[in-house]
Amino acid sequence: MSSVPMPLAEAPRVDQARWATIRLVLGSPSGMVGVALFVFFCVLAVAGERLAPYDPVAIHYLPNGKVAQVEPPSRAFWLGTTHYGRDVLSQVIVGSRVAFIVGIVSAFFIAFIGTNVGLVAGYYGRRVDDMLMRLTDIVFGIPFLPFAVVLVALLRPSIWNVILTISCLLWRTTARVIRSQVLSLRERPFVRAARVAGASDLRIMYVHLLPNVMPMSLLYVAFGVAWAVLAEASLSFLGFGDPRMVSWGQMLYAAYISGSIRHAWWSVVPPGLCITLFTASVFLIGREYERVVNPRLDRG
Amino acid sequence: MRFWPFLGRRLIQTVITLFAVVTLMWALFRLIPGDPTTVFLGTGELPPDAVAALRKSWGLDAPLWQQYLDYLRNLITGNLGLSFYYRRPVLEILLPMLWNTLLLMGFAVTAATLVGIAVGSWLGWRRGDKTEQIGTLLVLIPRALPIFWIGILLQMAFAYGLGWFPIGGMRTPAFIPETRLEQLPGYDLGVHMVLPLLAAVIYFVTDPLMIMRTSMLEVAGDDFVTFARATGLRERRVRHLARRNAILPVLTYTAIMVSFAFGGQVLLEVVFSWPGMGRLMVSSVTQRDYPVAQAAFFFMAVVVIVLNLVLDMLYAVLDPRITYE
Repeated sequence: MSSVPMPLAEAPRVDQARWATIRLVLGSPSGMVGVALFVFFCVLAVAGERLAPYDPVAIHYLPNGKVAQVEPPSRAFWLGTTHYGRDVLSQVIVGSRVAFIVGIVSAFFIAFIGTNVGLVAGYYGRRVDDMLMRLTDIVFGIPFLPFAVVLVALLRPSIWNVILTISCLLWRTTARVIRSQVLSLRERPFVRAARVAGASDLRIMYVHLLPNVMPMSLLYVAFGVAWAVLAEASLSFLGFGDPRMVSWGQMLYAAYISGSIRHAWWSVVPPGLCITLFTASVFLIGREYERVVNPRLDRG
Repeated sequence: MRFWPFLGRRLIQTVITLFAVVTLMWALFRLIPGDPTTVFLGTGELPPDAVAALRKSWGLDAPLWQQYLDYLRNLITGNLGLSFYYRRPVLEILLPMLWNTLLLMGFAVTAATLVGIAVGSWLGWRRGDKTEQIGTLLVLIPRALPIFWIGILLQMAFAYGLGWFPIGGMRTPAFIPETRLEQLPGYDLGVHMVLPLLAAVIYFVTDPLMIMRTSMLEVAGDDFVTFARATGLRERRVRHLARRNAILPVLTYTAIMVSFAFGGQVLLEVVFSWPGMGRLMVSSVTQRDYPVAQAAFFFMAVVVIVLNLVLDMLYAVLDPRITYE
């Protein structure tokens, strides 16, 4: 009977603490910087074309009729133009969308798969645990980027295949961390109480244990965004990005292949800086969040 | 559990993992539309019966399980097939590249670990003061940097801009040493390695450094540190003592670092045209030279898996207190 009230069960209250958590994260300077950067990129990703001064793939011409090839920054092109005569600023703005989609969607899957594997392995223990953890070991044995290159190239480069590859492999760390948390939670009185009260395995896992590992899962959502953005940029830089979309990694690929990197810093610095700042923003948020939900870490 | 049963179990685990990766790889390369004959010959260039004959000689007409067993047998006997592109045995192409990759990566991982230990123990020892707080924040920056971007920036600044170092590659063709310095053995190779190595160290140093710092913080509160100080040892000696005790977690991390170092390695090899396995893999995937791509991936996985095993063993030897579970 799962509807029996359980006065014995004293699961730590998670939902009440949520607002306090957000306030604490925003309260520290580095958390504030992280959130501000993240919101900034959110706006870029959503507004995209409306903010960009030009069409990101339009080819521009100089007054004398020639293609505006690797023009330095000017009044017309704030961040200069690329080797193919496209506006760097517009590409950087529109490119945030790919990072955003890949980051958020992959992070969701990384945390979702990892949390479930960890929860089931940690809760059932024994055989199930052994099997799932050996599986995780195997996934740890696969070098990520080489695997991603092979898979994306075989499946054809597209944003969804990039997401699929990232989600397939990167859940491994989350699974290990969540499992070890569940292992210790499982022995706590509130879980035993729930079991005595007749709660089913599923109910214990998803109603009693899940809220307690949620903070850790959320932390891995933040890290997942960062990993995924870096992975997408790396794949695009190697030439396996989605050919129908502009992304920061592809801008760097084009700059490298066309040789613009010899003299045109403006074709290299803006996209790389965007990747760095976006990744840094989620790392900063994650770090602050970790500090708030796990005060013991705050030793320094 | 004793050491030997533990070793036995780990060995079996390693074999299973290798087996799983190999199988996965085999399955993956079956996802290619068409079959190897279309890649090797192109379509419509040979009469259908010639294609059929080739399929037969390659064993592609056999049932899938037969193909899989053949594949396993070939792999075990070191027959990795023929490159579609170079038309030479894959192993012949791959082995020299493997050494080039391991050379650069070996230096990178070692340097990153050593720098990480040095800086991390220094930061951990000065807990709480301004240097430590700023240092810790600075160290986190490389975490967010894409490694290929670090490489490109270094290349722009020191190769194209200042001209101090070569742009890429591993050796200057027909290099004739002139000055005394240039006559040193390995000079040319060393000069080519500076920039990729620097990029790799900037990128890889964060994790060993942060782990060392945390471990140092933990050890700093231990009794032996207090006692060492009470006996009147100088602070530098005490730190040295603490460092030696804090080093183990960094060593275990090295295995993990190697596994993700391959990702960075692939990117660096492409940026700096380093003739290694990563670059070969990327180009062979683009050229649809699947036997080479497959073998390169296989080698990387083997290195990762075997190193994990070796470091596990090493850890058990280094720390006698460990229990084998």
